[in-house]
Amino acid sequence: MTVEDVKRTDKGRALMLSNEAVVRGALEANVKVVAFYPGSPVSEIMDTFGDVLDHFGDYKMEISANEKVALETVAGASMAGVRSFTSMKSVGMNVASDAMYSLAYTGINAGCVVLMADDPFAHSSQSEQDARYFGEAAYVPMIEPANAQEAYEMTKWAFEISEKHKTLVLMRTTTRVNHARGMVQLGELERTPFKKKRWQDVKGQYFTVGSVARAHKARLLEKMKAMREDFEKTPFNRIDEGDGKTGIITAGVCYLHTREAMQNLEVNLPILKIGTINPLPEKKISEFLKKLDTVIFVEELSPYLETRITALAKDVNPSIKIVGKRSGDFSEMLEYNVQIVEKVLANILNKEVSHDYDKYWKRAEELKKDFPDRVPIFCPGCPHRGTLWAFRQALDRLKIRDDMVFNNDIGCYSMAFLPPNEFSDSMLAMGASLGVSAGMSLVLEDKIIAMVGDSTLYHAALPGIVNLIHHRSNVTLFVLDNSVTAMTGQQFNPNTPFDAGGKAAKKINMDKLFEALGADSITVIDPYDTRNCIDPIKDAIEADGFNVIISRRECALYGDRQKKKRGEKIHQSENVKETCREIYSCVKEFYCPAIMVDESDHKMMIMENLCDGCLECRQVCPVDAPRHIEGR
Amino acid sequence: MERTYNILFAGVGGQGLMLLSAVLGKAAVDAGLDVMTGETHGLAQRSGSIYVHFKIGKPISPLIPYGKADMLIAMEATEALRYIEYLKDDGVIIMSKHIMPAVAETMEVALDKEKKKKYFTLEQVEERVRKVTKNVIALDSLGLSLEAGNTRTENSVLIGSAASCPDFPIPIDDLRKAVLALVPPKTVEANSKAFDLGREAGGACLS
Repeated sequence: MTVEDVKRTDKGRALMLSNEAVVRGALEANVKVVAFYPGSPVSEIMDTFGDVLDHFGDYKMEISANEKVALETVAGASMAGVRSFTSMKSVGMNVASDAMYSLAYTGINAGCVVLMADDPFAHSSQSEQDARYFGEAAYVPMIEPANAQEAYEMTKWAFEISEKHKTLVLMRTTTRVNHARGMVQLGELERTPFKKKRWQDVKGQYFTVGSVARAHKARLLEKMKAMREDFEKTPFNRIDEGDGKTGIITAGVCYLHTREAMQNLEVNLPILKIGTINPLPEKKISEFLKKLDTVIFVEELSPYLETRITALAKDVNPSIKIVGKRSGDFSEMLEYNVQIVEKVLANILNKEVSHDYDKYWKRAEELKKDFPDRVPIFCPGCPHRGTLWAFRQALDRLKIRDDMVFNNDIGCYSMAFLPPNEFSDSMLAMGASLGVSAGMSLVLEDKIIAMVGDSTLYHAALPGIVNLIHHRSNVTLFVLDNSVTAMTGQQFNPNTPFDAGGKAAKKINMDKLFEALGADSITVIDPYDTRNCIDPIKDAIEADGFNVIISRRECALYGDRQKKKRGEKIHQSENVKETCREIYSCVKEFYCPAIMVDESDHKMMIMENLCDGCLECRQVCPVDAPRHIEGR
Repeated sequence: MERTYNILFAGVGGQGLMLLSAVLGKAAVDAGLDVMTGETHGLAQRSGSIYVHFKIGKPISPLIPYGKADMLIAMEATEALRYIEYLKDDGVIIMSKHIMPAVAETMEVALDKEKKKKYFTLEQVEERVRKVTKNVIALDSLGLSLEAGNTRTENSVLIGSAASCPDFPIPIDDLRKAVLALVPPKTVEANSKAFDLGREAGGACLS
């Protein structure tokens, strides 16, 4: 589909997801090494690079164990003299930032660009973290596009800045930009073959501590000064001329909401659109402020631009009225849209809002009374459903529901906090369930249980596990081994014998790993053999020491795709009505989207088009009513 | 084109909504129109409620404001109601008659000892959305796809129906070509028939 547009060699226009436009930009910039850990909203960047890997065959790609390794990988490639790129979600940058701060000091060699995506509204993240502060805190330039065209252009430009100033460049986006499709004017796609180099020919020194670090810092400040000069001239910091003495400063997708809101209100205020959020083009901003008596800041999340530019205004236009978050006009929460921006502009300009947005919302609320919600749940055939069901049965048999704590982690299984499970006492960050369990085990009398998926295990859980085993902590660990990084789109990870683009890789032997680390017991269960999972789980929870339960069954979405490739069919199930006794364990305890109640006889029925044929529902049925449809 | 035509796609994860909007995007671009979308990707799970904001013409922001969608295309009937705040007064709704009950609802139905609790019905959806618009096209997309020879052509039925609407901005031939260019080669014939069945059903409903 639009992957075809990434490959196109003509210079036409294409409709692209911003994430695809970024890939196109990096390819036009002749990127040679890319490495990623997936995460929403940037997973499609990694997936697209994987899809076209064989087509180009002239760049190297790895799926890294985590974002820090990915950043270090692309930094190493840059030091070795080739252009490199990675992308990560905001919380991924938290993981990578340890290396990132040092890289700012050492500098890089060939262009090295990192895309980092914030997630206002926390659509698919654990917080609404505003990661714009990373650029300033680390002395690394940060740029921000508004749409697919800019994402494409800025990616190319980022490589130039990076090489000119020998610095890492951060490109900041938000979910709404990553997942917007827009028109992109494609440029020249000229690739060169991949060639190995010799360290002697490219070598530099990338080392920082003490006196070396202080010397780096002095150079870093010089670099920032030089970049500040450059950024005064870039067209990505742009003034849209307008009428009157009220102006707007904005960046990213908020620029687009603002333009549409102004069109609706039939006003034309001057806008300063910021493309370089670190360092800021202070001269350009000052010139803009001087002509105004009111400035409106339109930016999501924290008052980043507002705070910095308010400080500038103190010198260049101290009496200017500032409208933003501190004035209470805009919120520091959630995502913005046209109606939010239009309402504030209308209020400041004493105009009527162009359209009665509230009427539509209120009417919809009326119309949706008693209307059932559709919350996210595990897919049909998901192995987690069986694991969690057996886990609950084990807790009930042990009668320790009220005498245990369950520390959850990041993955599809995070949904254990939703019905029918509704338990998860903590969930902070990748691998955090182990550290949290360590602290709780020092203080609580209760049984401590942690849960991670395979991808999370290799991402950030290993140090926490080593720590627990070393301290002889009493913790039971579930590892949900479903083969792939399921939640972000079933990408490969160290738990698969595959790397990016399906290339061969070495699968880490999980069972031997735990054995070597010295786990007190390792029990492997199959969640499709759901009933027989209860006793082993019970035993592992009861035992003292660090006991591991590996629940092994591939992700249903991934498994179905593999089946399709092999030409196998999915064998759907049915509920045998004569056997069914309306006990509804399958409904109450299981929450499978393929299961509904037949209103004609009030018995359970399986929606054939949704069923994955896993028969986990038969396992939870006290009378074994579900079975595979015969004759298929 | 002078003004922007806004479509809100709604559906349930796994129904192929992203493909549907990509098909429509390709068709619009082939017809020389500019497109912008705002999509839900994120969690890869099946069975959640998902949407795509789809703007053709002179789009500025990727999001459609409340009450400004010209058309709402729902691949599942209750999803039409779920996003009804986006539809303008008397906008067009093209929806599948198909209902995929949410699990929370199944719970309520199963747990009602008196067996009085019923699933939300197509009639209830229609009755409620008709308070916003009279232009509702409810299609038996599954039945029509069966008639076309392949149950995986439901989306072509919906697109064919959308194309039959009087002010729809993408010329029907471009749309048809784009659909057939992007479906698996083996299903071209079935999709072609599904598209036409949708188009006929759409026209019939509106008149």
